[in-house]
Amino acid sequence: MRMWPLPFRRVRSAAAPADPAIVVEGARKSTGGRARTRMLMTMAVFFGMYGLIAVRLVYFGLLDPAADGGPAIHIQASRPDIVDRNGEVLATDIKTASLFAEPRRIVDVDEALEKLSSVLPDLDYEQTYHKLKSEAGFVWLRRQLTPRQEADIMALGIPGIGFRTEKRRFYPSGETASHIVGLVNIDNQGIAGMEKYIDSQGLADLQQTGLAVARDLRPVRLSIDLRVQHIVHDEIAAGMERYRAIATGAVVLNVKTGEVLAMASVPDFDPNNPYNAHEKDRLNRMSAGLYEMGSTFKSFTTAMALDSGKVTLGSRFDASVPIRIGNQTIHDFHGKGRVLTVPEVFIYSSNIGSAREAETVGVEAHREFLHRMGLLDRMKTELPEVARPTEPKVWKQVHSITIAFGHGVSTTPLQTAVGSAALMNGGYLIEPTFLPRTQEEAMQTATRVVKEKTGLDMRYLYALNAEKGSGRGARVPGYRVGGKTGTAEKVVNGRYSKTLNFNAFVAAFPMDDPQYIVLTIADEPKPEKPGMGATAASNAGVMAANIIRRSAALLGVQPEFGHENAALLVSTH
Amino acid sequence: MSAIFRTTDVVLIAAMVAAAAFTYKTKYEAENQLAELNRIERQIRLEHDSIDVLKADWSLLTQPARIQRLVENYKEQLALQPVESTQVGSISELPQRQLSIEDLLGRDGGMRSAAAATDGTTTGGIGR
Repeated sequence: MRMWPLPFRRVRSAAAPADPAIVVEGARKSTGGRARTRMLMTMAVFFGMYGLIAVRLVYFGLLDPAADGGPAIHIQASRPDIVDRNGEVLATDIKTASLFAEPRRIVDVDEALEKLSSVLPDLDYEQTYHKLKSEAGFVWLRRQLTPRQEADIMALGIPGIGFRTEKRRFYPSGETASHIVGLVNIDNQGIAGMEKYIDSQGLADLQQTGLAVARDLRPVRLSIDLRVQHIVHDEIAAGMERYRAIATGAVVLNVKTGEVLAMASVPDFDPNNPYNAHEKDRLNRMSAGLYEMGSTFKSFTTAMALDSGKVTLGSRFDASVPIRIGNQTIHDFHGKGRVLTVPEVFIYSSNIGSAREAETVGVEAHREFLHRMGLLDRMKTELPEVARPTEPKVWKQVHSITIAFGHGVSTTPLQTAVGSAALMNGGYLIEPTFLPRTQEEAMQTATRVVKEKTGLDMRYLYALNAEKGSGRGARVPGYRVGGKTGTAEKVVNGRYSKTLNFNAFVAAFPMDDPQYIVLTIADEPKPEKPGMGATAASNAGVMAANIIRRSAALLGVQPEFGHENAALLVSTH
Repeated sequence: MSAIFRTTDVVLIAAMVAAAAFTYKTKYEAENQLAELNRIERQIRLEHDSIDVLKADWSLLTQPARIQRLVENYKEQLALQPVESTQVGSISELPQRQLSIEDLLGRDGGMRSAAAATDGTTTGGIGR
């Protein structure tokens, strides 16, 4: 548009260079209408530009002042706190501040660095100096400061540095409840334990729609009692060291509600620094470990025999000669070499007697009974880490005989505790839970698995075993403990080892009206001192007794000293 | 002409100036209020964050594991021992308290013993 007058003018001036005034005059006349439009156009352009600037100004005026520099970091989703049954925090979100610098805005690098070192003495001087001298627009100096460090640095008033807040999951109890509470990944999503369960209950959807606002999320209350959990963790950690076992574990289960009050398994991991959480050795053995439970299974064999109606407490079984089946021979560990009554089979932990009990009931009924007790099916509970028990594909007589004393099927210790709870609470199988549950709620889903009479007989046998049998070591004055030991030989290269054991102890207390089951395990324990035994009574039993001694008062069980002969009283019915 | 200018126009100009001043003042106050609101909201956020951190701190300090460690360190100085089952009981198991002569004589003795029984120290966990 503006180019066209130039060649025109040049042509004119070339024609009359001597008198520019006339030329101009002539030009004006000849282009009078054009100058007018040109003027209007120029005005329109300028008005347009000023208008644009004005509109932009109004637009910027309405805009919120932009935040300080630095890249926008990924805002992590909020998670609800996890608390124990008394409201003690097990997992919480805390905000941590991360320090960044914008080197271009820093006036005096040396001064800034000197001031920073007064708050962060361990700051790498040389590296930080190079970072601050660089021409980068943004550098991180230190991640995850405490609020106090943040406030101190803020008070220094150094230009060109600032903070970004980040959310971090924090577990105050550390490894104490690590297997139950679980873990989150870098994006604050649950990947293990109850954290994963919470995500599966709709939190993940909430986070995706951006509705998970920290203040609106109610804490998730677990059935765990942190004090009891600590006692359990403390005792099994001490036990693992004392007996030089490769692993120990324990669970405390409420017999009447199915709530897990405490559960721990060592070795474990620190959820605040879970670098080793995925090592195979550190899994939760109580719910995700499969073991041949050994003699603790005799509880179920005896209960089955009593429940079938073919056997009573007065029945007798010949345990004088070992059983030969195929090329295997079944002996007794504490052989009496005579005919035993049902209570004697139980307290002397007779393999032969238990096998004879199973024989009386029959192979198919034996299999059906263990399934009914929930011992051979995958357990349903909130915790995601649950193993599926194994059993022979086809049950033959030999299987039934070995399973009678706890060899030949593998199940989880937690399931064994749940099955024992059914024998102690009057015959109701209640799914274990890690969330608070009342007795009424528990009874709605409970299924009756054995007769009430069988439950009473089993209470008597547990109490008797702690009075006269292998459970003597687990007695705690005042708390009427009953229980059953289990020393199982471990399978090494397809054969049962004579030296390596898997030990378990199931304890119930108080025996006049059982409230809690404590089940302890010790994997490959050695004798505490040379000459001492390595059977279940001397390690798993001792751990169970210590746990009960320390936690019974916290669990609300009143000690009584008039009932030490409870077994004899119960035996009258 | 000038008379009209002096009356109606002066009134109008005054009204305009007053309206402008009023608008300015209102806007200024609104901005102040907004700034104050922002400040308070920032403060609330900061307090919330501090509460979260302090709660985490508190649960860290009251961890049974930590308390057990402290007890083991100071059990000799403070003569601490684990509670035995024989030491646990309920009020109903206690025998009736025998009345002494001071209880019968006057309120003074009874008052003094009641005051000595509680030391006014309150203990407890986190209030929620």
